Amino acid sequence: MKVELYKAATAGVLSRRRMLQGATALAGLAAMPRVMGYGAAAAQDSVRAQILAIPGVGAGSPTDADWQKVGELTLAATKASVAEGEFAGIELTFLGLNNQNLHNLLFRGFLKPWEAYTGAKINWIDLAQADYNPRLQQAIATGTVDFDIIEMGAPFEGDTAGRGLLDEMPDWVKAQIEMDDYVNYLKAPVGTWDGKTYRITIDGDCHTFAYRKDYFGEGAIGGAEVPKTWQQVNAASKAVVGQTDPLTGLPAFGYLDPLKGWGGFGFYFLENRAAAYAKHPADPAWLFDPETMKPRVNNPAWVQAIQDVMDLIATPGAYPADQINADPGTTAFSQFLAGTGSMLTWWGDVGSNARTSDSSVVGDVVGFGINPGSDKVYNSQTGAWEETYNESPNMAYLGWGIYVTNRVSGDEAKRKAAWSAAAHLGGKDISLWTAAYPSGFQPYRNSHFQYDEWEAAGYDRAFVEDYLGSNADSYNHPNAAIEPRIPGIFQYYSVAEDELAKGYAGQYTSAQETADAIAAAWEKITDQIGRDSQIALYKASLGM
Amino acid sequence: MSSSGDLLHVVTNDNIPAGRKAFGRAIIWGSAAVMAAVAVAQTLQVSGQAAFGFETWRPTLYAYVAWAICLCWGQVLINGEHGKRTLFVLPAALFVISLTVFPLLFGLIIAFSDWNLSSPTGRKFNGLDNLRQMWADPFYWNALLNMVWYVLAIIVEYAIAFGLALALNAEIRARKFFRVAFLLPLMLSPVAVSWMIGKSMLEPRFGPLARLARALGWDDPSFFGSPWIAKLTIMLMDAWTFIPFMMIMILAGLQAIPKELNEAAKVDGANGWRNFWEVTFPLMLPVSITAILIRIIFKLKLADIVIAVTSGGPGGATDTVTSFIFREYRDRSNVGYGTLLAMVYLVVIIIVMTLLMKLADRFTRPRT
Repeated sequence: MKVELYKAATAGVLSRRRMLQGATALAGLAAMPRVMGYGAAAAQDSVRAQILAIPGVGAGSPTDADWQKVGELTLAATKASVAEGEFAGIELTFLGLNNQNLHNLLFRGFLKPWEAYTGAKINWIDLAQADYNPRLQQAIATGTVDFDIIEMGAPFEGDTAGRGLLDEMPDWVKAQIEMDDYVNYLKAPVGTWDGKTYRITIDGDCHTFAYRKDYFGEGAIGGAEVPKTWQQVNAASKAVVGQTDPLTGLPAFGYLDPLKGWGGFGFYFLENRAAAYAKHPADPAWLFDPETMKPRVNNPAWVQAIQDVMDLIATPGAYPADQINADPGTTAFSQFLAGTGSMLTWWGDVGSNARTSDSSVVGDVVGFGINPGSDKVYNSQTGAWEETYNESPNMAYLGWGIYVTNRVSGDEAKRKAAWSAAAHLGGKDISLWTAAYPSGFQPYRNSHFQYDEWEAAGYDRAFVEDYLGSNADSYNHPNAAIEPRIPGIFQYYSVAEDELAKGYAGQYTSAQETADAIAAAWEKITDQIGRDSQIALYKASLGM
Repeated sequence: MSSSGDLLHVVTNDNIPAGRKAFGRAIIWGSAAVMAAVAVAQTLQVSGQAAFGFETWRPTLYAYVAWAICLCWGQVLINGEHGKRTLFVLPAALFVISLTVFPLLFGLIIAFSDWNLSSPTGRKFNGLDNLRQMWADPFYWNALLNMVWYVLAIIVEYAIAFGLALALNAEIRARKFFRVAFLLPLMLSPVAVSWMIGKSMLEPRFGPLARLARALGWDDPSFFGSPWIAKLTIMLMDAWTFIPFMMIMILAGLQAIPKELNEAAKVDGANGWRNFWEVTFPLMLPVSITAILIRIIFKLKLADIVIAVTSGGPGGATDTVTSFIFREYRDRSNVGYGTLLAMVYLVVIIIVMTLLMKLADRFTRPRT
């Protein structure tokens, strides 16, 4: 669970009495299997209940001692496949992040009992988020990959798996981590590369729609219903121009498009709009043509998405004054949470901050849903619009995973050790703990959406259902928009941001011209990286 | 000790045996030959024509270090006392060459390469393609044009800095306090300035400066909304940080002017303005020129505020060459093209600064 979400889920809802209730329920759950003589499944339930009680919801932030306890309690799967001391003398290097003092620091705690049991030793390379991409790219480009296990985002698979730098997952690992439990979008083809499995998923990612409940309803300024399509989003944004925000008394605003770049990440937000128009249910591709790598970013669907933004720019008062200089961080944290604007798409953090952040004023009036859809969808195969409802939630960034590099491929003992460590971190039970407590990771398994477990652990059920519900709906959507995991994908996003900035500032005459400029820049990048290899890798990432 | 030769500078006159000299030459040339051989072997390995088991360039580096040591040692063997004197300079010179000339050469190689870190084929020499791409790149030219505007703003900054320096040089109350107070912005990190001022104080809804603007009658204050206002705001934020730097240099110059000169002018009947214009300002020209030139160098590197506050927007209006190179190099991993842009910018800076210094030299000479 992201740190802010944890604070949100526990803030204000946990009285001493309620915590005792939770503790009692947990103790009951833990005791049940033994009393009633259930088998292995019940024993697993017992472990799940036990780890959810470490350190206890509302009992302060977990510490290294707690992480080690969780690591110890979830070691059963390792013990089933590895003999005690089997990896004595083996040293592994693990590269990952140290964001929010979690990630690698958390893994250290989880893996300490694993190290003690197996006899292996892990050396750590901790990186700040900003240093991650350059460090990884330079290691790859200069042939100096110096790590056996890596925590990596799925978009980088093109750079690593695409170059044969990763080791394929052995079958025993698949069984140990119970991969069938993954939410739909993380299964093949997204969970695989060119038909092979490399990633142990430890995180899920998607954008969801956050809106202000006080803007919508009978007699409300935004309309009777919460917008379900981007057409309605734009109509509502225009309808509230000149109105007063019911909460703050300041001018009312509709949807908050970030109009400034954000190191490539800002492009996800245009994607949110475009996916509804461009991601046809019958076609897995929506950013490039998989046969030619010809960009689709200047097809009518994308142009419509850009045009929607330009329409709001051209409507005086539709955006706050300085919107041209607002990046996604600004729209979420300086605007939406501070009571400016009524609609937003973002990752999960925004809902939690709504309730915990000191600068948030919208905690009681915020609601969640999946990203808006569209009344029409563009079919790239026929080159025509289809007048049918379409929705396509954006799985922006796809989430973190643990991978093993091919440095260990030649040494069977070392390979088994690396995969065993990775499997321990990606285990089903340990993942319940990372989903429920501050870890930097979001839920990603179907078993994470058993609300009873959360409630028994002491969580506020209404909050958890609201927050988890919008994520679950997006994850399991049959027409989810999946980004291409090709090398340099953030280069494409970054250059698109530069061109969009020019388009939004009126330096291009139309949405089409802006989109054409992006397409031309994308073609250049494709040619530079290598068109044939990009086509092959794009197809591989789509499972074609 | 000899009674002939350079008696003034030579303390001892060595009688170096021919064998020692030969040995000195042998180790210098021998180690050079080893270095050349290792480098050739390495090149063959890299180009795939032979395999010597050299996985990295370290063997060549070690051979270079060995040659450098032999070169230094050889100086003493061959030249004796003279050689020892050479040792005072030679290691430092080799060190500087290693850390500047070699990286510059490697940088040039990269600059004329097609090298996108995501490309599976790695670095490829592509001749003048990067230069041609630069020539047709509207983002780069836009950034260069912006730099001209940013640099021109220095004239105004200089005038303000001069005024503040004059004020602080005068007999005013709490002079020491003001000197420290005026210096504070310079001590702040530009990134902190970006967040404190650009993101917080200028926040259009709640920022105190936006509220002030509203109170003064600006209905919908937006400090980064239109191209020219955004550019001006960036100029102001940068000026706020760096005016104290120019001020402190000018103040030091003012304090170095002998008081007698101003007093003499006063006795001759010069009023305050004439005193400033005919005495103080000309005397301050060398300091002023130095301050302005250093400030130009700082200004040409302007990037941090832009990256943090506007990312070059709206529509490239506040973009600087450095912030554009940052995006090209870091966000887009376009190492070859990014390096070329930086190299060209370096050459442009060197040419412009050289011209400016020549001009400044000519400008200051007749009056000093």
